[in-house]
Amino acid sequence: MENLLWRNSKWGSKLVAMAIACVALVWVAIPFLWAFNNSIKTEADTFRQGAVIPFLQFTPSLDAWKFVLSDPQALNCLFSSALVGVGTTLFVLILGTPAAYSLARFEFKRMKSRDITLWFLSQRVLPPVVVLTPFYILLAELGLIDTWLGLILLYSTFNLAFCVVIMRDIFRDVSKEVEEAARIEGASLWQIFWMIAVPLSLDGLIVTAFIVFAFCWNEALFASAVTSQHAATMPAFILASRSTRGVDFNQAAVNTLVAIAPPVIMSFFVQRYLARGLSFGAVKG
Amino acid sequence: MATAPKRQTITNHFLLNVAIVELTKVTKRYGNVLAVENFDLTTKNGEFVVLVGPSGCGKTTTMRMIAGLETVSEGEIKIGGKNVVGMIPRERDVAMVFQNYALFPHMNVFGNMSFGLRLRKLPKEKVESRVKEAATILGIAHLLDRRPKELSGGERQRVALGRAIVREPQVFLMDEPLSNIDAKLRVEMRAEIIKLQRRLGVTTFYVTHDQVEALSMGDRIVVMSKGHVQQIGTPKELYNTPANRFVAGFIGSPSMNFILTKVVEGGTLTAGDNFKIVLPPPMATALETRGLREVWLGVRPEHIRTARNGEAENAIPGVVDVVEPQGASTILQVNVGSDLKVIVQVNEQWGREAGERLRLSIPAESIHLFDPATEQQVSN
Repeated sequence: MENLLWRNSKWGSKLVAMAIACVALVWVAIPFLWAFNNSIKTEADTFRQGAVIPFLQFTPSLDAWKFVLSDPQALNCLFSSALVGVGTTLFVLILGTPAAYSLARFEFKRMKSRDITLWFLSQRVLPPVVVLTPFYILLAELGLIDTWLGLILLYSTFNLAFCVVIMRDIFRDVSKEVEEAARIEGASLWQIFWMIAVPLSLDGLIVTAFIVFAFCWNEALFASAVTSQHAATMPAFILASRSTRGVDFNQAAVNTLVAIAPPVIMSFFVQRYLARGLSFGAVKG
Repeated sequence: MATAPKRQTITNHFLLNVAIVELTKVTKRYGNVLAVENFDLTTKNGEFVVLVGPSGCGKTTTMRMIAGLETVSEGEIKIGGKNVVGMIPRERDVAMVFQNYALFPHMNVFGNMSFGLRLRKLPKEKVESRVKEAATILGIAHLLDRRPKELSGGERQRVALGRAIVREPQVFLMDEPLSNIDAKLRVEMRAEIIKLQRRLGVTTFYVTHDQVEALSMGDRIVVMSKGHVQQIGTPKELYNTPANRFVAGFIGSPSMNFILTKVVEGGTLTAGDNFKIVLPPPMATALETRGLREVWLGVRPEHIRTARNGEAENAIPGVVDVVEPQGASTILQVNVGSDLKVIVQVNEQWGREAGERLRLSIPAESIHLFDPATEQQVSN
């Protein structure tokens, strides 16, 4: 597709735009490069000045990778992350999608659905650290400290609001006429939801699921606070990997890359939906 | 499925569901806003009823109340003798064709057409044979695997019709189904819908804002304005004997001329400097008994004749202001006084010029009179 705006722009402005794009790219890429570079160093090399270019200035080694990937603790944390991420995503979608649909389609007598939605949104405005202590106490009383279930419940409370607000907007874009047609054809409320509204909002649903999953995958603060061994997730593991001798930078780098990989790989698959879904229906054709 | 009073076999599968629809004092209010008030109508078997009126007149609301998409504030709706107020659409056994087709974008044509049958858990073979038969009737049998977005406007329209007929409902509801189709196809589809409806013989409600569509399709037409029924009648009745000034002006194109005239003794009407017309005796008496001083004179542009010199006793002198050739006919705007203008449609192709002087005559049988206060017809 030819971009007319780009083609008709002057040389100077094209150059500026390119320069900005390059800076942004480097800005984003440098931490990754740093991490990759460190992951193939030996522990000694990570502290040596002037060890920057592999093969020239230091000899690359896969020791850190081997160590981490055979560390049962690291693998356990990876599994915890995946389980908690998937579990939370499913739980949030199962609860949040019908809630979002009812807020999109029905008017309630006591409160306007817009007000209820705003209330949901307000849950996201609160700085999460404020509720850290109460949540810890609650989980402790329920005996859910350092359990997967505890984390899933915790993350669901944060992400449910997000899911409801976003999915409500997406459901509002589903043609009312199409749903009415289904009603005339004899579909019940649940049938309209399952057979019409959900399939027609699949793009948005996938994007929402991905964002919820990414949130769980990346969350470090609560994970560190309410888990210790059994249910610790990758971010908690990375934070905890400071040993008594300080930080093993090469291992930390491997951990980081391992932690980043799944969402990055997933994003390749959901990319197609991301562009459309993230505009929240603004450009739905 | 509801029991229909009479069933008649048309083809192997298509059973003719004939249901009379009765609307009694149907009223719809949104808060304080009155959308429809006291709508009364009883259809005949397999009748094609057109609801027509300007936007916001309540025609779509009325149809949606029949469909069960809108609640009824007051009144009663009976389909096949059964009161359906309070019933969900599924229990009413109606099918609806929407303005934007409202096809299910994620299903192919077969999926769209079979949706209702599948919900009713019909056996698979029966679903397939019914869909195929309906698709054949509509000429879309080769499109069953396509998605709606791969279809043209006309094809989508056919699929929407197919989805409606495949369920063999008791009543068809069509909400401006042709308004999104280009002009040429619209005329074709109009004829096809009429043929289809005649063939299936299912009672049909058809909403449109286009009076031409209404006249050409309806067995009976309900003219609505501001939530009220203005007149119910056959196309001929509406055209020849409009009940009030609204119907007279709404039905027919170009619109009827309305001239506010003074009633002079002896059944003569005057307006402006030189507009004068002598009414036939029955009309004169009708005006006299009502004691009207002023009256709206209505006459359709196509009924005004241009008279040759000296001909016709009711002749009115005028000057052509604007000439609008229509191809087969010509529309003239004629000044018949200082600020009095009438539209005249003449069956001549060309040859009229602005500034031309002519004499107009209005045949007595094409005169309509309306009370200025009530706007009701007072011709007889």
